[in-house]
This record gives sequence, structure tokens and C-alpha cells, in this order.
Amino acid sequence: MSHGAVSSEKCEPNFVPLLDLVLQLVMFFMLCANFVIEQANVTIELPHAAAAKMLDKGIEYAIYLNVNSEGVVLLAPSDQYTDSQGNVISTLNNPDQVETFLKRRARDDIAAAGPGGEDKPLRSVIILRVHKNCPFEKTYGIMKACRRAGYLRVQLRALLVQPD
Amino acid sequence: MLSHKRKKIPEHVDPDLPIVPMLDMTFQLLAFFIMTFKPAPTEGQIALALPKEEGGGISSPSPIDENKPLEYIVRVEATEDGRIAGMTLMEKDNAAALPQDLKADVQNFSDRLSQISRQLAQQGKTGKLTLEIDDKLVQAYVVQLVDQAIRIGFSDISPVPIDPKKR
Repeated sequence: MSHGAVSSEKCEPNFVPLLDLVLQLVMFFMLCANFVIEQANVTIELPHAAAAKMLDKGIEYAIYLNVNSEGVVLLAPSDQYTDSQGNVISTLNNPDQVETFLKRRARDDIAAAGPGGEDKPLRSVIILRVHKNCPFEKTYGIMKACRRAGYLRVQLRALLVQPD
Repeated sequence: MLSHKRKKIPEHVDPDLPIVPMLDMTFQLLAFFIMTFKPAPTEGQIALALPKEEGGGISSPSPIDENKPLEYIVRVEATEDGRIAGMTLMEKDNAAALPQDLKADVQNFSDRLSQISRQLAQQGKTGKLTLEIDDKLVQAYVVQLVDQAIRIGFSDISPVPIDPKKR
């Protein structure tokens, strides 16, 4: 009887297609990962709305006002500032403080608009992210502060839901 | 003297790329992303245009304008915990129209506004909706009412406090 010669060739599984597939999955999950926008406070629970539109990606200048359930505006780290006494201001507790903060931003907008900037509409859009349990009195006070500071374009944020 | 040593041609070597450590790392990355994957609810926007003047301007008697939008007012009362306690629908500048009680039912609000919207469409007119809202009503209900009104077809909606001095 003849016995076949034992092959000395190495037998290796082909990992390349498996690696391709796994890398594609990694890419998918990386792209779908939620990148937290620094200015959007994750503690704010937004109300639901079916009529809300998809976010406008073309907004270049936005001022985020994250309003908690007590009606306090929580400033993003990049918006926090130091007052005349050297205190770091991270929250705005009443509409007057909101107005002062927005008037400072409005001055920047006017300066950026160049000569005759006072007559032009302010470039920034106010993005109001109001907690679903915030009383209307507080929300309206903040909206009035926006108006007094010269900002007339406001976006109210809500979570998109399917219509009934 | 120059050496005439011939260069040695290296023997053919199979490149051995270690795929296994790479695969290990890739699986770890994959496991991390799978475990931390949580699709976030999509955020949307409701655009608002604030009036330029305080208090919504001074109302002065104006000549009758056929194209003037009909203004409807819904007064929303709230409970102590910020929920809707009751709603009343009124028509501005129409003394003959009696206020209608919509109770605390958003469905009533929606049905009545749909009816008005259909009537306005038949007459070729537009409507303006003012929501006079109790200070205590929470944002979730404010957005719910605005949302319903937008879906029905109202584009001019003003949420204001009940007290005119606060506007």
C-alpha cells in the first residue's frame, strides 16, 4: 500500500476578510458614536415635538442657552466669564443677568459686522434648550432678555418624535 | 583592487504580517463601541421670531382690513404643579363670539383649532394664534400646544403670559 507523503505546508486560516469586516463594523460604531456638543448641556431634558424641524447645519454663529428646570441658564465652559470681582460666572440666575451676558455678545456681533453694524441684524442665533419642567414664567423672562439685547432670531430645541 | 564579489541575491522570503494582535485590538475596539452604543434621540428646532417692541405693541383702532389675519386667543390656566388646568378659546375683535371652554384636554384644543383652520382656508383668510399662558405651566405643555398648532397649520403663534403687564 502506498502512503501519501505528509505535506509540510502550513495551514493557516485566512484572517483578512474577517479583519475587513470587523474594521468596517468598528468604523460604523465610531461614526455613530455620539459626539457631545460642548455647548449643549446633557442634563437638560428637552420636551418632545413632532412639528420640530431638523437642525439647520448652516448656522455659523449660535449662542446656546441651556435652561434647567429652575429657570437658571447654565453656561457652556467656553461661554463662562470672569466678572469685575474676579468670580467665574457659570450660571445666569435671572433675566437681567441673561440680558447683560447677551448684550456683551451683541457688542461682539456688531463689531464683527463692521461699519454700520448697529443697523444690521445680529449674526448670532439664540438656541434655547429649555428643560421640560421649566415654568413658562422663567422661559418668557429669558426670551424677553434676548429681545432687549437685540436678538430676535431664536430657536427652541425639542426632541423629534413621530406624529400620531 | 576592486573586489569583484557578486552581490548575493536574497532568497525569496514570505512577509509574515502578524494579523492576530491586530485582530485582538480590533475586537476590543468593536466590543467597546458595541457596549457604549446608545442612539440618541434626534434634536429638532422650532424657529421663533421675537417681536421688536415690548408688550407686543400698542393696539390702536385701525381701519377695517379684509386681509387682516383673524386673531384667536387660547387662555391656558395651570395647576400648582405646572399642568394644564383648563383652556378657553376666544376670538379677538368679535364680541358676538362667546368664549369656548376647551377644558384641560389637548385633543379638544386640537379639534377646535383644526375646525377653525378649515374655515379660514375656505374663506381664504389667515389666522393668528395667541397662547396666553399661566406662569406656572411647564415647558413640556407649552411646546405641546405650540406643536399641535403648527401641525394644524398655524404659522403665526405667540406664546405670552396671561398678565399683559408681564409681556
